[in-house]
Amino acid sequence: MALSATPDRVLADLGATFRPQRQWVEGRGIWLIVGHFLSGVGAGTWLFALWLDWRPGLVLAIAAVALSGLAHLRFLGRGARFWKMYRARTSWIARGFVGMSIFLPAAVLALLVPPGALSGALVVLATVGAAILIVYKGNVYAASRGVPFWNSPVLPILYATYAIRGGLALLLVTLPLGGRGIDAHGVGLIELWVAVSAAVMLGFYLGVMRSTNLAARRSVAELVRGRAAPAFYLGTVAVGLLVPILIGVLGFAGPLSHAVLAVVGATSLVGDFFAKYAIAKAGIYVPLMPAGREPVAPAA
Amino acid sequence: MRYGMAIDLKRCVGCYGCQLSCKAEHGTPPGVLFARVLKREFGTFPNTQLVYLPTLCFHCTSAPCVDVCPTGASHYREGGVVDVTTDDCVGCRACMQACPYGARFFNETQTGYFPGQGLTPYEERRYSKENVGVVMKCNFCIDRVKAGLEPACVANCAARARTFGDLDDPQSEVAQLVRLRGGEQLQPELGTHPNVYYLPPA
Amino acid sequence: MTTTDQWIPSTCGLCYGTCSIRGHRVDDVLVKIEGNPESAIGRGRLCGKGVSGIMTLYDPNRVNVPLRRTNPVKGKGVDPGWQEISWDEALDEITARLRKIHDDDPRKLFIQRTTTNTSIRAPMMMFAAAFGTPNSWAAGGGLHCGNGAHLIGGIYHASWSLVPDFQHCRFAIYFGASKGHGAGHVSCTNMQDAADARARGMRLVVVDPMANFAAAKANEWVPIRPGTDAAMALAMVNVILNDLGVWDAEYLAHKTNAPYLIGPDGCYVRDAETRKPLVWDAARGHAVRYDTPDAAALALEGEYEVAGVRARPAFVLLREHVRQFTPEWAEGISTVSAAMIRRLAREFAAEAMVGSTIVLDGKRLPYRPVAAIYFRGSQGHKNSVYNCFAIELLNEIVGAADVVGGALGFNPVCYGHPETGKPWYEPKPGPDGLMITGTWVAPHLPYPIADPKPPTTMSLGGLFPLGMFGPTMASSDQEELWTKFGLPYRPEMMLNYGANSLLSVGNSDTVAATLARIPFIVSFDITLTEFSEFADIVLPDTCYLESLDSRPNVPFIFNHPAGLGEWSWPIRQPVVPPAGQRRLATDVLVELVDRLGIREEFNAVANTHLKLDGSHRLEFGTRYGYEEICDRELKSHFGAARGLAWFKEHGVISWPKRVEEVYWRAFLGVRVPIYWEFLIGLNRNAKRIANAHGLDWDDVWYDPLPRWLPCPSHEVRDGAFDLWGFYYRDTLHTNSFTNENPWLDEASRLDPFSYTIALNAATGRTKGLRDGQEVTLESPHGRRVRGRVHLTETVHPECVGIGGCAGHWAKTLPIAQGKGVMFNDLLEVDWAHGSPVNLNLDTCVKLRIVP
Repeated sequence: MALSATPDRVLADLGATFRPQRQWVEGRGIWLIVGHFLSGVGAGTWLFALWLDWRPGLVLAIAAVALSGLAHLRFLGRGARFWKMYRARTSWIARGFVGMSIFLPAAVLALLVPPGALSGALVVLATVGAAILIVYKGNVYAASRGVPFWNSPVLPILYATYAIRGGLALLLVTLPLGGRGIDAHGVGLIELWVAVSAAVMLGFYLGVMRSTNLAARRSVAELVRGRAAPAFYLGTVAVGLLVPILIGVLGFAGPLSHAVLAVVGATSLVGDFFAKYAIAKAGIYVPLMPAGREPVAPAA
Repeated sequence: MRYGMAIDLKRCVGCYGCQLSCKAEHGTPPGVLFARVLKREFGTFPNTQLVYLPTLCFHCTSAPCVDVCPTGASHYREGGVVDVTTDDCVGCRACMQACPYGARFFNETQTGYFPGQGLTPYEERRYSKENVGVVMKCNFCIDRVKAGLEPACVANCAARARTFGDLDDPQSEVAQLVRLRGGEQLQPELGTHPNVYYLPPA
Repeated sequence: MTTTDQWIPSTCGLCYGTCSIRGHRVDDVLVKIEGNPESAIGRGRLCGKGVSGIMTLYDPNRVNVPLRRTNPVKGKGVDPGWQEISWDEALDEITARLRKIHDDDPRKLFIQRTTTNTSIRAPMMMFAAAFGTPNSWAAGGGLHCGNGAHLIGGIYHASWSLVPDFQHCRFAIYFGASKGHGAGHVSCTNMQDAADARARGMRLVVVDPMANFAAAKANEWVPIRPGTDAAMALAMVNVILNDLGVWDAEYLAHKTNAPYLIGPDGCYVRDAETRKPLVWDAARGHAVRYDTPDAAALALEGEYEVAGVRARPAFVLLREHVRQFTPEWAEGISTVSAAMIRRLAREFAAEAMVGSTIVLDGKRLPYRPVAAIYFRGSQGHKNSVYNCFAIELLNEIVGAADVVGGALGFNPVCYGHPETGKPWYEPKPGPDGLMITGTWVAPHLPYPIADPKPPTTMSLGGLFPLGMFGPTMASSDQEELWTKFGLPYRPEMMLNYGANSLLSVGNSDTVAATLARIPFIVSFDITLTEFSEFADIVLPDTCYLESLDSRPNVPFIFNHPAGLGEWSWPIRQPVVPPAGQRRLATDVLVELVDRLGIREEFNAVANTHLKLDGSHRLEFGTRYGYEEICDRELKSHFGAARGLAWFKEHGVISWPKRVEEVYWRAFLGVRVPIYWEFLIGLNRNAKRIANAHGLDWDDVWYDPLPRWLPCPSHEVRDGAFDLWGFYYRDTLHTNSFTNENPWLDEASRLDPFSYTIALNAATGRTKGLRDGQEVTLESPHGRRVRGRVHLTETVHPECVGIGGCAGHWAKTLPIAQGKGVMFNDLLEVDWAHGSPVNLNLDTCVKLRIVP
């Protein structure tokens, strides 16, 4: 089992004024990122598959969320106690768990029962669960007051945007495989819109973060020129944003082939994953300072 | 009743007595330090100040770590002490991300202080498999306090920099120190209402 | 199975601070160490190190069986090829070798011990005396701690060291000292007392190249270039005496030799009949002997015609002597600004409140709430004597020595337990009325000064009666010097207790070469260290938590809280039984005594050394185990009812201190020298012997009045070596090689300073270095160490500071290996780097940073 950090690095981190967050990205922590990624994509897929009324997409959504659940179990230090996570009054993780607990049985049953009032109600229930899954993740990060970079109302919006785009992206990859024809041009436009909005959100997010406290600025520095920079530039920006946007812009000139749309989808998914990965990786804890003192500004 | 602590930065000499007596008291594994001494440097030569900043869990009245806990393992107990019910902890570590004071530690594996050489008799006795895969933290030595003792870090502080008591009792030593010496919380703007106060170094 | 749960009182052994502890033992496992609140030594509170001893006790790398080397080749990093042997085999071989040496020339036995565990001091000294060897040293001690500080402490305060009177002092100035800040003697009690003093408002000024520890808590940090403390202190003395005209005439006239008349030859003008020094009695209008009872108007100024010569009081000579040491001159040497020196001198003189008194316990006593404190930093130099002497003069001229509020020796006076009157000691006047300490730590007293003799010991000690230990015990030029002085023997065997002299003396190559020349080395160790690589037999020792001793804090002048409060005499006892085949080293020593047939000698020495009394004296013909000896010592002091059994149960005996003990200066008729007249004769005689043996001699080191003399580092002319290196006592490892303790190691790795090379941030930037970068430091002699720099504002721009007691390379210490930087590897160990007056090794070094 890979550890989050070697003993040497645990001490190096503890000794640092600006302590990097590793619990939710390194070692077994990577499974949490995977879990967050899959639950977002799954929930987003559910919404779009419903809209397109494409049954395999619904199955795919369920599979993604179920895998997300497994990834979460892999991440937890004591996965066997997962059923205790129902304290949803103040905990966004518990809310996410409730969302998943609603979504999975409701969605599965909705597909199994014959069409009718019951299945309609189940679909509504599953969609509520999916909505919770889309909303909760960003809030889990935003509730992390120890990591100022995350502790922002912008993050839930960014993560919801990514989830929706992720759902669309998964469908772009899988629809052609399913032999289903779609209005390629229309989907491309939506895709472009979502990609741009995600880019705008990300830019907004980083801009806001730059202006807040030192730890958050340090996180931005980690993202743009530190430990998280490769994932950020390659994964989040280049593959995740620039490529789909570019292709989307080309889409104005004429219809895109299904293969190209699949590429847009795939790159969007990669981008989605690395956005979560890079933002997690760039997390820096509040430095502990004597009252009224600021740490020395972080070195570039 | 609201347990709290005043740490006098004028008295502390950074001897690490608190950090290590805490370790001995709780038998915490490597990398887990409920009490710590940080050294923070300010100014430029020769007008330099090196501040020894002893820390521990601040047992916040509005503890973000309790709010984010999905199982209720992190909870308030008597006197406002923030503690973890080990058996309820799933090891999601949301509390670590929520704590602005670095007071929580995830104990990933059962390793001792002599890597590759097994556990010492002390470690055999003090370490528990129950503490693997969960988050550990300071609980103001609540068992000692209930037995009429001071928390280990307070009892051992050679410079007598730490004072523990009931902040709700205006006559208590800790409440008076906070009042008379102008005790300050760390990052009060976060709204966590820590119950550990620092008395200024000068 | 029933659980046994015990708290066992004992004594810490992780530095010479030896605080009183209680070990919490559940069944056979030690689960906690706490301070013992019933003892004044620590008052129930411990430093980080003190509570961490559990990990030293349970280190799986402890030695559990006697080991014999199979590889005849000795060297750094050479595997000795250890083979397990039985205790009997080991002791048979050791006895045979010792007997041969004893029959031949006992001086060929070289005894070395650590300063960390003070309990071994008396037994080893007793063994050495019984065996008949004068060649014994505390490795690292004497070179690095106290040849100067303890000497000056002994001469002026009848004590090993001094602290400000934390209960009453208002202004303390520390020169390279950290008393009360987590290091050294009485570490834990001093931390509390110093914190109380800060809270009370005592102003603390710390003169130090680094602002960690004491300077971090000071009201003012005065950065200084290493080894220049005397320059600053002498300039302050000059300002106080000559610009401000402040001094305590009463104190100087009656408690020092300031009024002694000095003739044109620099010597005392003596009474023709009694040979006693004369003073000028202004009331009588003529000179009288210094001890004339009713002489009340002793002149400190003027010039007088006495016994046919023009004579002046010593105080006049001092005032004139220091005139040359202007603040501007001192600034050029120390980098401390002249304005700062003048201001501090003014504050010191004003805060001394000369003439004021205070009533304590119904007694009116002098009140001088200022103290100038010196320790390792200012004393760790070739010029240690004058550095400490100059700083001490600040206390002496304003009368702030062992009076209320002033600089206090550690317990120079003890009138004993109320029921037995023991232990009892007090300083008394010696030759020329100057003070002889009531008790002492080292074999010979700081005063009177013995006549120099052609040396017959490895340290050349006889020629240098002001020194304790000398570098020649492990220097690169030892053979050359021994040959010069015709030392009639060479060390043939070393008995080492716990010292790791590879790391604790100077550069390890030099020390290794000296060790490799010793044919047979036996070492009592708890782990295999770099030193053990040179041993022929290693004996598995008990660690302090498995050991027994009746006197872990004796004598009180060494390590007992100063100031009012309580006396405490604790014992050390096993908190857990020794594991494996470990044996208490002192028990093994006693067995060796018996095997060697020197029982009679040993018992006689023990009777004297341990002050055994009446029926508790050892009979010459009887064999006693170490426990029995301990029992008798305790009964001798505290009565038959309070033997070892009583102490094992109670741990410590305490009783209140008296004002006459703490502020003894006012009560005792002893004087201390502000003018070291005795150096004149000493210089004359020692020089004659030295020159006769071809050793160059420079009189400048033997002037009766102090001056600043440069360290070798100040004379390096090559500008490439642009930094001064010094080491400091890190609170986590002060005076102990505890990098191997993983709790302390963890704390050190979290500390920004413990394991790094502290370099001034601006200096680092001009050199293009970044924080955490690995660099090599190189001395002008080509010695090198490697480590990571920590860029900080807390170090003088010309300096690098390194935490001491680090830099292990032995594979047998897996936690310690590769941690920190071995500063000592940069130090030369030779005659040129030692003091020609007290043999103190210089511990500052010029350096450059190479990639």
